Amino acid sequence: MKMMNGNEAVARGAFEAGVKVASGFPGTPSTEVMDYTQQRYPDIYCEWSTNEKVGLEVAIGASFAGYRSLAVMKTVGLHVAADALGGAAGSQINGGLVLVVGDDVGRIAGDDYNDVRHYGNMFNIPVLEPSDSQEAKDLMIRAFEISEEYSTPVILKITSVICKTTSAVAIDEDYTYKVKCRKKYTVSFSKVIMTTMMMNAKGSEHPKLVKCFNDFPAHMKRLAADSNGFDINKLELKGNKIGVITAGTPYFYTKEVLPDASILKLGMVMPLPEKLIRELAAHVEKLYVIEDGHDIMEKNIKDLGIVVIGKELFPKFPEMMRFTPDIIEEKLLPDAPKRTLMEGIPFRLPVSCAGCSHLFISQILRKHKIKASADVTCGLIGCFPHMESYSLQKCMGSSIALAHGYNVATDHKEKFVGMIGDGGFWATGINGLMNLIFNDSQSTTIIVDNSCLAMTGGQHVASSEFGFNYKPENKLEIAKVCEAIGVKDIVTVDAYEFENLEKAILNAVKADTNSVVIVEKPCVTKFKLPKGDAYSIDQELCTQCRKCINIGCLAIESKKGKDGKVEIVINEDLCVGCGLCSTACKFDAIKS
Amino acid sequence: MQDTGKNIIIAGVGGQGILLFSNLLSKYYMKLGYELKISDVIGLGQRGGGVESHFRYSTKPVLSPFIKAGDVDYLLSFEQTETLRYLHCLKEDGIVFSSTFELSTSSVNTRLEKDMPESKTELIKRSGLKTFIIDPEEYKSTDFDISKMMNIVMLAIYAEFRGYSHEEMIQIVRESVPEKFIAGNIKAYEKGISIAREMTPNP
Repeated sequence: MKMMNGNEAVARGAFEAGVKVASGFPGTPSTEVMDYTQQRYPDIYCEWSTNEKVGLEVAIGASFAGYRSLAVMKTVGLHVAADALGGAAGSQINGGLVLVVGDDVGRIAGDDYNDVRHYGNMFNIPVLEPSDSQEAKDLMIRAFEISEEYSTPVILKITSVICKTTSAVAIDEDYTYKVKCRKKYTVSFSKVIMTTMMMNAKGSEHPKLVKCFNDFPAHMKRLAADSNGFDINKLELKGNKIGVITAGTPYFYTKEVLPDASILKLGMVMPLPEKLIRELAAHVEKLYVIEDGHDIMEKNIKDLGIVVIGKELFPKFPEMMRFTPDIIEEKLLPDAPKRTLMEGIPFRLPVSCAGCSHLFISQILRKHKIKASADVTCGLIGCFPHMESYSLQKCMGSSIALAHGYNVATDHKEKFVGMIGDGGFWATGINGLMNLIFNDSQSTTIIVDNSCLAMTGGQHVASSEFGFNYKPENKLEIAKVCEAIGVKDIVTVDAYEFENLEKAILNAVKADTNSVVIVEKPCVTKFKLPKGDAYSIDQELCTQCRKCINIGCLAIESKKGKDGKVEIVINEDLCVGCGLCSTACKFDAIKS
Repeated sequence: MQDTGKNIIIAGVGGQGILLFSNLLSKYYMKLGYELKISDVIGLGQRGGGVESHFRYSTKPVLSPFIKAGDVDYLLSFEQTETLRYLHCLKEDGIVFSSTFELSTSSVNTRLEKDMPESKTELIKRSGLKTFIIDPEEYKSTDFDISKMMNIVMLAIYAEFRGYSHEEMIQIVRESVPEKFIAGNIKAYEKGISIAREMTPNP
């Protein structure tokens, strides 16, 4: 037995399933699936692709070549890759094709309230969901078997709770990696091509036509029927009063709170095992569905004409972020004692690391009242009300096109700036830049080059000087690419040279041409930059104007001293000596 | 085994070594043959965000990865604002170990909300629970700052309180931390033992 979190267990499952190719894009909570796969199982080819769509397409190609392939992303990332998944759904599968997708239940990592199972419904593909690390490993292997047996991509849904929970997993330490090539089909086409064939050439036995057929509705029908006998769907018949259909970690919450309930625990949440559900429904007086995320199993069960209680008793977001044992107890055991959180405890808004280059940019934008959009990057912290540096922020890679849209709508009279990280730029932001060039836009773009995807823990990007498959000659240069695309004015500045950076941004905003300011500074956390001498605040000179606090640096605190007086102080353990705060102080109170 | 298992919440802020703490503790219980589930919830924000680890060990398989409010036996907290967030989760006879360290919150710093008017240390002491308050400043010496190694200090305090083998625990530390940090960690562990032996509970 080995202690593993869900991400480690999924990586182990990939190894034992004989995966040949793993691709994808970082995204909390599932990033570490790839990190562990790459670190521990060198037999598997791993790549962080430029974005999720590319990652999934790489896996689809590898699967067609006959090898088991894996694509890793978070649910928000699958939105980007959805078109690719639609293309793969229902098509001929050679080597098993599995998507490991992280749902941030409870918004623990700060995602929107998404649910990957919608893609199961939309594209009619199976979704498996583990409840602990052992199941995460086992279902990973099972997912590949199902993918090949029923010729379908399979989604393994993991959640922020599964990913970050450690429990024991049975491991065969002597296991040797085996990879096999399964080349059943010579073609694999999207459903559009196949359905055209199936509708027009029904019943044809011409080999050229037969080759293109893939009777995916029949595969899925067979899978749904077989699922009643799958050992990963467990019917635990106990008392007659309460029955619960559940999956994932809510299974354990249910078991703990309702030890006498009859439970149908689903390892495959889509398609549903109708016979087992009817058997449980006939056995109990009241049947509940306890599922994290959206009311998807609930709707699918109700579609079968079976009466279940779900969101009317357990209202979903925003009333509930995720299931907990407490919520089940409160609703189903109303006599249990209630516990409430102490009132008035201050909350923690996210704060940037001390010395982060984003703080410099946020500060300049705020100081000069430059309107700007933020991307999905550590810099988005500048949107929160303690900083107020940005007025527009949407999805990953969007900020350049958002700024362009604003600028064309306002006839370029007020230059709206797009700020983007290097990760977002390479992922999809580069499309926004190409778009604004050939559409003759005069927008300004700030690209923050911190040499990694900082937000997810420092994975490499196309312009990093490290990476799984890194070779110095293949490193992409942001400035060169911008130049090739046709950006008129490109400046590269070191973030810590405050005056130069300020000048560069102001010049770019004033110019009546399109421009890019590349702000360089490696991520302070990932690259553990050497610290300079800490700064401190002279309390005699400090007027408590709080300009320094509004920078949003973790090291600057407002604290009650021993005498009860509030002081603005710099935490010398956290300060890295970047000096940004001293540029904000009008009273010369902040010194090294 | 007389002890059939306990529920522990370990709380603090990012950068305090909470994940290492729960990792070291899990190795101790693994050696004793317990079943375990540890859930680490890390909030948004690279640094300074709240960190919460639900740590459950038992002679029987552990079901829920999260501990229900009211089922917590021990709260081990490295930051006192975070301590307050979990007081309601303890059993009536649950025990709190809390550092007086405090990392101010961005919302209070920027006046988006007011800080609590009362002393947080006093609120913890008056919670009605048995509490041990540890002030790292009190043990700061010129050559050694325990606030940087509160995780190892807390491990020693907890081990002493539970009557566990320090020898075993130090061995686990030795096997788990990089070579260059071993000596410093052992020093912190020993400091933790001496703090634990002087500690008096409230009330």
